[in-house]
Amino acid sequence: MDRQQDFVLRTVEERDIRFIRLWFTDVAGILKSVAIAPAELEAAFSEGIGFDGSAIEGLTRVVESDMLAKPDPSTFQVLPWRGERHGTARMFCDIQTPDGEPSSADPRWVLKRTLAKASDQGLTFYVHPEIEFYLFENPAEPDLPLVPVDSGGYFDHVPRGTGHDFRRAAISMLESMGISVEFSHHEAGPGQNEIDLRYADALTTADNVMTFRTVVKEVALEQGLYASFMPKPMADQPGSGMHSHLSLFEGDRNAFHEPGAPMELSANARKFIAGLLHHSAEITAITNQYVNSYKRLWGGAEAPSYICWGHNNRSALVRVPLYKPGKGNSSRVEYRAVDSAANPYLSFALLLAAGMKGIEENYELPDGAEDDVWELTDSERRSLGIEPLPSSLEQAVSVMERSELVAETLGEHVFDYVLRNKREEWQAYRAQVTPFELKRYLPVL
Amino acid sequence: MTDEGPDTRRPASLRALLIRKGFVDAGRAEQLLADRDLTALLGPVGEGHELLDTLGRAASPDDALLALTRLAAVPEPYGAQVRGLLASPGEVRDRLVAVLGASTALSDHLVRHPEDLAALAEPTPIGADTQAVRAELLAAVGADPVAADPVAALAGAEGTDAMRRTYRRRLLAIAAADLVSTEPLSLLPAVGSALADLAAAALEAGLAVARAELPDHGRAARLAVLGMGKTGGRELNYVSDVDVIYVAEPADGVAEDEALAVAARLAAGMTRACSAPSGEPALWPVDAALRPEGKQGQLVRTVASHLAYYERWAKTWEFQALLKARVVAGDREIGRAYTEAISPLVWRAVERENFVEDSQAMRRRVEDHVPPSEADRQLKLGQGGLRDVEFTVQLLQLVHGRGDETIRSPHTLSALQALSAGGYVGRDHAARLAVCYRLLRVLEHRIQLHRLRRTHLMPTSDVDLRRLARSAGMASAAEVDERWRSVRREVRHLHEELFYRPLLPATASLTSEDVSLSPEAAKARLAAIGYRDPVGAMRHIQALTEGVSRRAAIQRQLLPVLLGWFADGADPDAGLLAFRRLSDELGSTHWYLKLLRDSGVAAHRLAHLLSTSRYVADAMARSPESVTWLDDDGELTPRSTERLAGEVDKLLTRQDDPEGAATLLRAVRRREMARTAVGQVLGSTDVVAAADALTAAAEVALVGALRIAEYEVEHSADGLLTRMCIVAMGRFGGRETGYGSDADVLFVHDPLPGAGEPEAQAQASGIATRVRALLGQVGPEPALEVDADLRPEGRNGPLVRSLASYAEYYGRWSSPWESQALLRGRAIAGDPELRERFEALVDPLRYPEGGAGAAVVKEVRRLKARMEAERLPRGFDPSRHLKLGRGGLSDVEWTAQLLQLQHGHEIPGLRTTSTLPALAAAARAGLLSPEDYEQLREAWLMASRLRNANVLWTGRTGGQQVDVLPHDRLTLMGLSRLLGYPPGSGSEMEETYLRLGRRARAVAERVIYG
Repeated sequence: MDRQQDFVLRTVEERDIRFIRLWFTDVAGILKSVAIAPAELEAAFSEGIGFDGSAIEGLTRVVESDMLAKPDPSTFQVLPWRGERHGTARMFCDIQTPDGEPSSADPRWVLKRTLAKASDQGLTFYVHPEIEFYLFENPAEPDLPLVPVDSGGYFDHVPRGTGHDFRRAAISMLESMGISVEFSHHEAGPGQNEIDLRYADALTTADNVMTFRTVVKEVALEQGLYASFMPKPMADQPGSGMHSHLSLFEGDRNAFHEPGAPMELSANARKFIAGLLHHSAEITAITNQYVNSYKRLWGGAEAPSYICWGHNNRSALVRVPLYKPGKGNSSRVEYRAVDSAANPYLSFALLLAAGMKGIEENYELPDGAEDDVWELTDSERRSLGIEPLPSSLEQAVSVMERSELVAETLGEHVFDYVLRNKREEWQAYRAQVTPFELKRYLPVL
Repeated sequence: MTDEGPDTRRPASLRALLIRKGFVDAGRAEQLLADRDLTALLGPVGEGHELLDTLGRAASPDDALLALTRLAAVPEPYGAQVRGLLASPGEVRDRLVAVLGASTALSDHLVRHPEDLAALAEPTPIGADTQAVRAELLAAVGADPVAADPVAALAGAEGTDAMRRTYRRRLLAIAAADLVSTEPLSLLPAVGSALADLAAAALEAGLAVARAELPDHGRAARLAVLGMGKTGGRELNYVSDVDVIYVAEPADGVAEDEALAVAARLAAGMTRACSAPSGEPALWPVDAALRPEGKQGQLVRTVASHLAYYERWAKTWEFQALLKARVVAGDREIGRAYTEAISPLVWRAVERENFVEDSQAMRRRVEDHVPPSEADRQLKLGQGGLRDVEFTVQLLQLVHGRGDETIRSPHTLSALQALSAGGYVGRDHAARLAVCYRLLRVLEHRIQLHRLRRTHLMPTSDVDLRRLARSAGMASAAEVDERWRSVRREVRHLHEELFYRPLLPATASLTSEDVSLSPEAAKARLAAIGYRDPVGAMRHIQALTEGVSRRAAIQRQLLPVLLGWFADGADPDAGLLAFRRLSDELGSTHWYLKLLRDSGVAAHRLAHLLSTSRYVADAMARSPESVTWLDDDGELTPRSTERLAGEVDKLLTRQDDPEGAATLLRAVRRREMARTAVGQVLGSTDVVAAADALTAAAEVALVGALRIAEYEVEHSADGLLTRMCIVAMGRFGGRETGYGSDADVLFVHDPLPGAGEPEAQAQASGIATRVRALLGQVGPEPALEVDADLRPEGRNGPLVRSLASYAEYYGRWSSPWESQALLRGRAIAGDPELRERFEALVDPLRYPEGGAGAAVVKEVRRLKARMEAERLPRGFDPSRHLKLGRGGLSDVEWTAQLLQLQHGHEIPGLRTTSTLPALAAAARAGLLSPEDYEQLREAWLMASRLRNANVLWTGRTGGQQVDVLPHDRLTLMGLSRLLGYPPGSGSEMEETYLRLGRRARAVAERVIYG
């Protein structure tokens, strides 16, 4: 640890960094930042930087507003968009109470705690996310029609495409921040892009997702564009998901892999999937946390609206991707419900907890779905035992409210906050009179 | 025997003689004496042979004889050497026999290596010159002892084996000299030093072997090996891990990375030479786990890197470990640079923020980490073990070493002596602790020597205990066991004397041997054990101990122990203050201090109570007799209602002044509240029993007050016109009274035949008002607020109604909330017949035939919803409100009450005024699933416990805070201690309550709202 701190202090000196941003994430998944000068760095490492937590969503109880942000030196990165001279750097922070206990409201702590439980059983949790987002012409404002930057489709190579330049710039910036990019391509919707981050342990990945969102927004701004991670910005175009590929490792060995088994899936992998399916409805209010999320989830096409799994089935909630025989360490499962606006810390914590529950309780994995579940009739789905995911934020919140798994994983404080916060959001949404209603009813009623 | 006289016994058989000499298995000894090799070497051995006397002096004559027969078979010239040794009385022969009789492992060694017999003759193996020992082991591997970085001429296995052989020969010599000592306790420090020097020399030789294995002999790195633990303290065991830390700096012109890599290879080579398998058995594991970041950390670091780590990251226990660091091998200059750099940090560790918590946690680890199967046999761990002594000494060193360099020795016994010389601990106590420590160490040494195993367990078999006793200069298994046990007790006691006694001012010294700390030192020590206001604490100590009174004298005796017990509680400062107040109050009574002095249990309980509960501290100050209960578990058990009623009866019979009688009634209640609080804090009275007891105390007060009021009327001009009864309502009716509860009641009367209705009503009203005044008006004893707001028409209705009026009212007006309130109605005082008739009157209301109708159920639901919306005070987090909040008392109670209204008519068990029995009856009848019942019950119990704990911790019975789970950490910590959680569990308790509340709420919603 001290070496990492030394490294940070040295780099700040050598590269003439003038500001260090301390980043943390609130319960809603919004990035927060406190800037400090290099002179305060040592104190930040040893004691943390105090701030008033009462202003931050879900972070603190009213009476106990003093909080400490303690930077994690292993997350130190120079921010490339702040220029070479007099640069700015960032570190992610853990939030602590004044007596040095981890704050129960810190999403990063929620994930760390869940990871520690798995690690007690010798397991490490890896995640590789595929993040989708839209690029719009500026200005992109709520009152104006949205103009996507191009009209390309899935994997289209758009000549001189703005998106192309954009992706190149974004990727090189991400790489310069030490975030490896696996893959990038144009997605199905106009102006929609996807960038896949290389797999890493869940905490690093969650940090990376937060960084990624910032980088993409910054690069878009530089190019005069607007990037959005809204789950469903346009009614008639596909939404933006964050398909998450999950794997568990026991030391160097992929615990999901078993040579010779069907699909080379180990018994633990099957139980893990069973756990994901069994608890998927309970965790949806976290993986799909906004009113808008449900427009993507129930928007047809390939949206994972039904609780089932399949091998390479693009309509299933959990997909077991094509495996390359013999490449044991690439065994993984893809959870497709998470959207690009989810809080990655809480989402990954719950995905892990759900899967681990399947392993601990020996859940039985139901048969995989062969068909496109969207094509089936309701009664066919019922006969196959395929249940739907919640269809609205309200439903998702009521299901979550009864979940011991979610309460235990998030901790009582975060659990309670999310319930209240999401109910308020639903109330506010339900109070709206939408253009849809006006267009439809005003002329005739 | 003073006069042996001639031996008049008849000549014994050989067998009897052997037994007399100390052999256990004489039959086997006889056979061994006839052994061919033995007789070949020594000729026939029979009665009167000198050998038998010689063997009789061994720790185990049986073992010694067996070893000797094996040794008799060694080839010449060693056979002759053995014969020669045995034939010539003296130190060397004694050493041989002592080794053979005490250590099977060393006997085996001699049989394998008879050439080492010569080592037995070494004149002073204990106390040998450090440099000479180092030179001997270096020479064994062909290295030049005077070279700056000696390089072995014998590399690899050859060097390793040569070093190990030499090590073992010297170990044999040390053990032999140690075992024949007549004063093993005096010799002990020198033995530990000799063993540590030997280990250091082995490390040095191992390093020389490691150098020989590297191409340029590892010149790139200047490596120093720091001994830690017992090696560092120069007080090593016979068999122990050797704890080390490696420090290295690059040689001139070498890059740091390169040098550290070379140093790591040197360290690994040295470890191999000492611990890896080879021709000769390994010496001991070299353990570098105390380095920065432990086993995950880099093996070797530079001085600067160590410093950087310790400045920022190190935990308190690491500094405690560093106190022992001492250069033992390699580059002395680098080693010294390291200790010079680190030492200031060690001596500032006491200033660290979490020093108190950390050191308390460390002490708990010392005490707790003993597997139960070993608890009775551990010499090292556990209370009164070696670690306990070391910990006490080290903690004192850390606390006072900041300002005083003379007490910084890494050697436990030297440090103890320095602490005593510096006036930090009493001279006599220090000396006694040193004796205990020496004895424990000697036992440990002897046990380890037997098989040369690393063990700290007392043996269990008689044979082993007997060997141990004889090798430590004691006579029998029973004696060694007894000595050991008394030492353990003594160590515990001395810890308190050493640590807390010197906190008393000089005037409070019991003997001239006692010391008194300077104010600065006392402040440091008080702060280090957890007193938040050391200056205030010193004032209290001063006040408690000054003067020549008997009281002060006894308090001087008691206080050191109490100070330690207060420090174990949640709030030491409050504990000490409360003790001072209590002593000011009671100090002059004849029994108070005597009780505390004579009963360890009472004193310990008192310390725990005073430092854990302000409420109890206040209550005890007001109920002085409560101190006597601490010695008697029977007195801590709540008194039954019947017993209290009997007491009240007698008390009223004796009194004729109404006001005086009421005061006595109130005193009885105050006393019972104190008894309940004491029992609850001590954990002997659970929350349900506490509620019962508090209810009973209020009940008898009401019964008594009613009797007084009626008596007054009876003796007035009118005489008695009506009969009265009092019905307990609400939580009082449910036997769920808390420390701050009012008594909710209904007053009922029934005019006597012939009495006029209005006159009777006026008289009843007068009696009720009088009852309220007798219990509620300001007076010397605490008031009981009697609240009749639940009566028909509430505050607008008459205070008392006649039974007929109740019947009429309920017949006409009764509303669902009244039915619900009557579920809690329990007639407790007054005319027995009237009580029965009242209950018979309300039963059809609260347990309506056919169950409560849909309209009633709907109304109850609506009331509950409205109450949730309106009654919760503004600004309170609903999940933390214990009474009205999510899953709080009211959620659970309404659930029970709704089920009672619906099913009370058909299920007799539901006809109870108390919540838990109602829930249980509902669960038995299948109205609640077993899981639902469990969750409601758990949440209700937890909320009730927390409400009580709020009062007990703060001492405040009123105010909204009583009903709220607090936020601030200090209070949470205090509450968690009251609820029986271990220290540091505030957050865990909070999380548990929130979880139980959430679950209970889900059940309540399901049952109440459907």
